[in-house]
Amino acid sequence: MSEKSKNLAIGVVVATLAILLSSLVISQPGSGDRAQLIGASIKCPVCQGESIADSPANMAVDMMALVEQRVSEGATNQEIIDELLDSFTGAVLLDPPASGATLLLWIVPLFALILGIGVIVWWKTHPPDEPGDEVAATAPATRRRLYGGLIVIGGMALIIGAATLLIKDGSGPASGAAETGAESLTGNLDDVSNETMEAVIAANLDNAEIDGMRLALAERYFELGDYRSSFPHFLAVAQSPIATDDQATIALVRLGWMAYDGNGEVDTATELLDQALEISPDSPVALYFKGQVLWCGAGDTASASTIFEEILNQPDLPNETRIRVEADLDLAGTGAACT
Amino acid sequence: MSGRALKIGALTVAAVAIVFSVVLASRFGRDPGLVESPLLGQPAPTFELEMLDGSGTYDLADLKGSIVVINFFASWCLECRSEHADLVATSEAFADKNVQFVQIGYQENPASTLAYLDEAGTSPSTIYLQDEESRAAIGYGVFGIPETFFIDESGIVVGKIIGEADALILGATLDSIIAGETPGQQKTGDTQQRPDG
Repeated sequence: MSEKSKNLAIGVVVATLAILLSSLVISQPGSGDRAQLIGASIKCPVCQGESIADSPANMAVDMMALVEQRVSEGATNQEIIDELLDSFTGAVLLDPPASGATLLLWIVPLFALILGIGVIVWWKTHPPDEPGDEVAATAPATRRRLYGGLIVIGGMALIIGAATLLIKDGSGPASGAAETGAESLTGNLDDVSNETMEAVIAANLDNAEIDGMRLALAERYFELGDYRSSFPHFLAVAQSPIATDDQATIALVRLGWMAYDGNGEVDTATELLDQALEISPDSPVALYFKGQVLWCGAGDTASASTIFEEILNQPDLPNETRIRVEADLDLAGTGAACT
Repeated sequence: MSGRALKIGALTVAAVAIVFSVVLASRFGRDPGLVESPLLGQPAPTFELEMLDGSGTYDLADLKGSIVVINFFASWCLECRSEHADLVATSEAFADKNVQFVQIGYQENPASTLAYLDEAGTSPSTIYLQDEESRAAIGYGVFGIPETFFIDESGIVVGKIIGEADALILGATLDSIIAGETPGQQKTGDTQQRPDG
């Protein structure tokens, strides 16, 4: 290494240290204003890299006002900072604490600096292999040192990068925050409460895609015998322009049954069930409830029996339904009143 | 070590360093507001705030014993406008389940917030408050709005939604709290800061 290169290397070290020291000095608030001192260490949560002491943002101004109030109340610097950390976490500290996981952020740069100085010193104290033939020896030696320097620099970046990634993964943004989107309005509703479904429906009155949820909620009420709660939802589905045939059919069937069972309105019930059968002529549910209304409401056991037989003639009838309809047919066929 | 090996080693390390630097740079751009709230699992901060309509003050401490949903909003926040109908609907749907909704105006003149609510509609079962000095927003560590906090009956913060919430998410979160679970923090979308800072 030539004398010029050595002086240059020493100059780089001195300049680096000077910059580091001056930046440390500049970063300290000069006045004795304690609120300013604290504010300068707190990052404005709605800004990019500004302290609340420096930012004109409303949130920063309000936070500074809080800091000033706490100072006037006699709180210590640490108490005030802790109060803000209790709400915002370390994300609002401009300088990460020199403890815990973020200790690495302080140690690694220092380590890198010492390592860099060491490399330069090593470079200075290891002259070319053959001093007598400086021109021939310097080129490969210099090249090796250049590569050596590259390895050190790359290594330092590697360490800093890995350390910072580890820190950010361990304590950092969103590590515990599950990002979720809005779920489908017609997805699996088993775990959704009635209140939640009511809220979703109320917030989506103009959204016909809510029919599935309406129907599921109405069915829950219906099974509990809560006709009052289920009625508006069945009615909305029955009147929905985009309800599927199956949805419209079941809504009309339930409305028909409630008209009969809840209000004793046989004609209305029959009319609604006929509307359901216009949409789905072979619907076992619609047929069964019509048979029930004719039998129990109108006392028409013959018509009811005919309908029950029609149901039993359907292929692929669920066994449970078949057993139930057969029992009703046996009873209605004797002319007995429904039970 | 040969010069060739040194060269390969140096270039490999440099390439890895560049990749790490790119990854690092991309991660530095992440929103600090997504840091998990330190309030989760802690007693909810309580404040005595002015009612939005100026009719008096309300102490949030009085709500202990109820499940409380605290939503920070403003008329200038588009996401807040999108979620408003769902907040109203959910507030009413859960009103008889010992759930109390509280909406707190954030970084806005109360008159502007009131005018917005006149237009957007309100729920009779929700308490509307103002926070002119941002004390509640600071206490809850609000980075941007909408942000919604869930407090259980014992006064512990058990959930937080960052971004726009719909009735399904609000309701599901309340369902889990009623079932004794702690839903934690979830992000549903972006948040906004006041446009003029």
